Amino acid sequence: MIFVIDDDEIMAECIASAMGEHEVRIFGNAISAMNAISNDEIPEMIFLDILLTGPDGFTFLNELVSYDDTARIPIVVVTSLNLEGRDLSVYGVVGVLEKDKMTPSEVREYVEKYVG
Amino acid sequence: MDVEVDGILVAAHELKAPLAVIRQLALSFDEMNDKNEHIRDEMVSVSERAIKQINDLTKLKRLEEGMFEMEPVAIRTVCDEVTRELDYLFRFNKRDLYVKYSSRAGLVVANRELLYSVIYNFLLNAMHYSGEETRSELMVRDYRDKVRVSVRDYGPALPIEVWREMQRGWVEKPTAISMRPGSSGLGLYIASRFSRYMHANVGAVRHRDGTSFYVELNKSRQASLF
Repeated sequence: MIFVIDDDEIMAECIASAMGEHEVRIFGNAISAMNAISNDEIPEMIFLDILLTGPDGFTFLNELVSYDDTARIPIVVVTSLNLEGRDLSVYGVVGVLEKDKMTPSEVREYVEKYVG
Repeated sequence: MDVEVDGILVAAHELKAPLAVIRQLALSFDEMNDKNEHIRDEMVSVSERAIKQINDLTKLKRLEEGMFEMEPVAIRTVCDEVTRELDYLFRFNKRDLYVKYSSRAGLVVANRELLYSVIYNFLLNAMHYSGEETRSELMVRDYRDKVRVSVRDYGPALPIEVWREMQRGWVEKPTAISMRPGSSGLGLYIASRFSRYMHANVGAVRHRDGTSFYVELNKSRQASLF
C-alpha cells in the first residue's frame, strides 16, 4: 500500500495514476493519514506534499520519524516549494519531486525502487 | 522586500500551481486513458481559473489609469451571470451553489466588469475551500445604507489576524492564509483593490464552520427613480 498525501485532489490523482497496479490511498491532509497509520495501516511508501490543510508536511514527517514502526518508511516529498540545499534524509525522505518539473516516470521509478 | 516585487512573487506562486496541475494532467494521459474525458474537463477547469487570475492581474494596472467607468449596475443581473458561468464548475466539483436575494435595491454604483470579478473570485474561493457535497451561498441583502454581497463557504476558518486586517474594509497586500493551503491571498487582495476602486469595502465574517467574504456597495440613487 502506498499513501499519497496532497490537498490538491487532481495532483494526487495524477501521482496515483503513475503507480500502475499498486494499491494506493489518497489523503487530503496529514491528520487523516496519521489516523490510518494509527489504525495499523502502515504504508510501504509515502508521497507527501508539504503545504497541507492543517498540520503541514514537516509536522507529519516529525510524527513519522518519532515512532519506531514508521521511522523507516521511504518518503518522497512532492512540492512546489524550493527545498534545494535542505537535507531531509533524517526524516526518511528518499527523494524530492518538484510539482512543476516531475514526470509520471519519475514517480514510477521511486515506486519500483522502494516497493518493487 | 519591495512591495511590488513581493506582489510579483505572490502572483508567480499563485499561477505556478494551476500550471503545474495542467502539465501533470497532460503527462498523465497515458496512465489515465480510461478517464480521458475527466482529464480534459479538469484541464479546462484549471486553465480557466489560471486565465481568470491573469486577467485580473492585468486589470490592476488599468485601475491605476482609471480605465473603469463607474455606473449604476443591476446587482442581480451580475450575480446571475457569475453563477451561470460557475454553475458547471460547481457541479463538476460536486458542490452546491445556493443563491438568495433579499435586497430591495436594484442598482448599485459599481463597474460591471470589476464587480463581476469580485463576486467570481469569492465564489471560486468558496468552491475551492469547501469540501465535497457542501454548498456555497451567495447572498445579496441591504445592510444599513449599502448593499452587501456575501459569499459563505464551509471551508477552513479564517485566521483571526486576516479577519482583523479586513475589519478596516480593505487588504493592503497579498498575505498567505495559513488555514487555506495554496492560498497566497492574491484573490482576496485583487477583490479588495477592485472594491476600493468602486468605493466599496470588503470584509469577512468568521463562522465556526467556515467563512463569509463580502463586498459592501453603495446603492445607486437612480434606483429611486424606479
